[in-house]
Amino acid sequence: MADTMIPSEEPEAPSNRPPAMHRLREWLQRRYVRHVLIITVVIGFLLLPLCWLLLAAMNQSGGPASSIMQDIQQTIFVFTLVSIPITSFVFAVLVYSLFGWKGKSGDTPPNNDNPAIRTNAVAVITWTATSSLLAGFLVVWGLVELADITANSYGSTSATGQPKTEDALVVNVTGQQWVWTFQYPQYDKVTSDVLYLPKDRPVLFNVTSLDVVHNFWAVELGIKIDANPGAITQTGVTPNKVGTFNVRCAELCGLHHAYMETKIEVMPDQTFNTFMRESGGGKTS
Amino acid sequence: MSTATIHQVEVPQPKQHGKPGGIMRHLNFFTGLISGVVLALVFGYLMNIQFAAGAQTANFSSASANPTFWAMMVGWVLGFMAGMGAFVGPIRWLLGRDLTHEDAEFMAGKGQGKFRYWRFTTDHKVVGIQYLIVAMIILGFGGLLAMLIRTELGFTWMEVFNPDFYNSLVGTHGIAMIIAMIVVVSGPVGNFVVPLMCGARDMAFPRLNALSIWLLVCAVPPLILSLLVGGIRDGWSVYQPLNSQAGPGMIGYQTTIIVFAVSTALASVNIMTTVLTMRAKGMTWSRTPILIYGVFAAAAMGLYAFPFYMYSQILSMTDRLINTSFFNPIEGGSVWLYENLFWLLGHPEVYVILIPSTAVILELIPVFMRKPLFSYYMAIAGIVGVVGLSGLVWAHHMYMTGWAPQANYPFMLSTEMISIPVGFLVLVVIGTMWRGTFWSRLPMMAVFAVIFNKMIGGVTGIYLSDVPADQFFHGNMFVTAHFHYMLMGVALFGAMGGVAYYFPKWTGRYLDERTGSIGFWTAFIGFQLTFGSMFVAGLQGQPRRVLQFDNMFNISNWISTVGAYTIGIGMLIFLAAIMSSWRSGDRAPSNPWQAQTLDWQTATPVPLENFPVLPVVTKLPYDYGVPDPLDPKTLEKEYDEKVGAPT
Repeated sequence: MADTMIPSEEPEAPSNRPPAMHRLREWLQRRYVRHVLIITVVIGFLLLPLCWLLLAAMNQSGGPASSIMQDIQQTIFVFTLVSIPITSFVFAVLVYSLFGWKGKSGDTPPNNDNPAIRTNAVAVITWTATSSLLAGFLVVWGLVELADITANSYGSTSATGQPKTEDALVVNVTGQQWVWTFQYPQYDKVTSDVLYLPKDRPVLFNVTSLDVVHNFWAVELGIKIDANPGAITQTGVTPNKVGTFNVRCAELCGLHHAYMETKIEVMPDQTFNTFMRESGGGKTS
Repeated sequence: MSTATIHQVEVPQPKQHGKPGGIMRHLNFFTGLISGVVLALVFGYLMNIQFAAGAQTANFSSASANPTFWAMMVGWVLGFMAGMGAFVGPIRWLLGRDLTHEDAEFMAGKGQGKFRYWRFTTDHKVVGIQYLIVAMIILGFGGLLAMLIRTELGFTWMEVFNPDFYNSLVGTHGIAMIIAMIVVVSGPVGNFVVPLMCGARDMAFPRLNALSIWLLVCAVPPLILSLLVGGIRDGWSVYQPLNSQAGPGMIGYQTTIIVFAVSTALASVNIMTTVLTMRAKGMTWSRTPILIYGVFAAAAMGLYAFPFYMYSQILSMTDRLINTSFFNPIEGGSVWLYENLFWLLGHPEVYVILIPSTAVILELIPVFMRKPLFSYYMAIAGIVGVVGLSGLVWAHHMYMTGWAPQANYPFMLSTEMISIPVGFLVLVVIGTMWRGTFWSRLPMMAVFAVIFNKMIGGVTGIYLSDVPADQFFHGNMFVTAHFHYMLMGVALFGAMGGVAYYFPKWTGRYLDERTGSIGFWTAFIGFQLTFGSMFVAGLQGQPRRVLQFDNMFNISNWISTVGAYTIGIGMLIFLAAIMSSWRSGDRAPSNPWQAQTLDWQTATPVPLENFPVLPVVTKLPYDYGVPDPLDPKTLEKEYDEKVGAPT
């Protein structure tokens, strides 16, 4: 009956459940827990070099040649670093299950003396909280980096389609099966099939295609945008390294898609102007 | 009209006309094949006459061959399905001749021996096995194409194939594998196992079930034939307007997709209805095995996603045939419209492949760990979360299209959120492994392989979901490696585990452990070589779908090619294990894994209506390692815990 259930008169329910910190310490002292954690750390340190190896592989052809590419690499570095703890913990459980708890073969199942763990609130909450926090961190990081890259590349912010700074170089990029053509409207519409760019000067690309969808990928500059027929897409970059880099087509565009690539020559601003004049384009704007 | 007594009520029964089955006695796969080919030729001939006034040639690569090829495809589909007997049911209804009990039994394949596998058979067990065989044939075909692709990429100093044929290889490999992977788990497991696991006598719509498998069979030949008439040179995504440039082979692709989408929709409706309405008494939503949730979720997602694919291909087809200009920018169409329609399918479809495989893994891991599934509700939450989010992420394939750069922000958010429910599923697996001694058999090996691959595929997926990183990886070998880790590393290896697990139920025999394991691990090692080094090629900057590349990519491509051949050898060994075990493996009892789900509680081979008496469910089927409460040992242990052990 309800009226007999007066809480104040009830003695407090006896509980021999030790405090949380004590239980955590007890848990950490278990043999398998220690082993799993040690294996996690070992695998984590084995995976750690990946943070740099990934970037080393990306830089084999001479990059990064722009701040955008540096941002991209920073993102990849951070993502690798953040995903290592969870990955190595899962791998550690796999390893310990294989070699620590081990298996039994045979035609009949092993004895039913495994602990019947149906669920564990602490594990579920910890896992959910950790993975949500990590995902949240990655989302926030990604949004901030994306805003940064967008600001650096004029891509989505320029509603007018005009470069933001006075001295920006405009290049009209045209893809067609299977060549790239680069036109410099500020230099008497000089046209070239190699992309010549000045160092440290913002460049705005107006990208389009004459036939099918191509993808303008300046590999070491870290920019990529589809070249669509009947539409102009925009992107931009400020090269900060002198050298020879690659443009590749990153969207299957038919027969000779594999050969639709060309070079980028990034040169000092002075050299670039001289070069353009020699190619027949006085600076008109 | 005869009558039958059901529940003490006289119910009128339809009259039997002739022998049971009627005309269905004479129709089978071979009559379907013949009538399909004949009708295709007739239709093609008629259409050719129609267009013969112009400068029509018999050259299939000319664009004017399009209508002829289209007519042949229509003829093939109609002829094959008619020859199979797919239209007999509707015609019966028109004539007012309902099926008698004997007719229905004939349709279910009673007393026809092995030949029932060649017929329009309604029994869900027959359909399941048919799905398995068809999926294996398509996988073999796609795998062969993969070997050819890697051969081209391994000989880095020359073109082994001409670029046209190479591009066709890439496209056909892609779509063949996608089709095969969609049906490889949902087909055999969804049709054979799910009704058993629900405790039902058959699927909800048995004749629809037969229709869906034979539509799938019907969809495959146009795809293979299209290689002969220009092929699919544009990757499996066949972006417009490149699509319109291709030869009439593209019509083969479009026919395949349209027919396959119908087949998938029918199968999805069937599975969903079965799960919703035909679960055994007492099988509430909190006692339903996780595999049923997985297959149900995949079916629901397929039902949502496949219409987009079908529409995109129908519109492409009308663009090609009658110049409707949906996707042709020169005439006012939009390439972004196509890309949106395509990826509205494209991303949910990935989970249509992944979720059933993951569910099979979740289903078999408690059996082999002899432990309850860790946090059953979290597994459900994971599946539901993935399904819910998967409809909202398609534009992450379009980050770099310039379509709507502002949309990149929300799509990046939704895509990265998917890692949370996927993480739930990983926790369920490692939680079930925690502190358990596993039963070291072949299906259990698949769990280790799948979780390993899933972590690699999942983490690399996070890079791709992030727009800045994707700015480097989009259209790059890194993407190829990533989705192979998910679709092959998780889904196909999971499916192999599922085959090993259900093999005793399907065939009454064990899958040979030794040969099977050798094949499985060979394929696994080859897989790591192939796609691990493909990640490196991607990081170095190799674009996808190229047949020639700079010298800097040579080494990683050589390793990939060696790995691909290793996968091929491993898969052949696994196939040999399947074939030899099917014919002469060790006999298995009806419940060899001592599993608790309903599918193992019936006899092997499963009788025609599955259960002599329909079962009643009282608990979740994952009570492993739980001591029997009335066992004296349990009571003793409980006494020790509560009162204290005698010292």
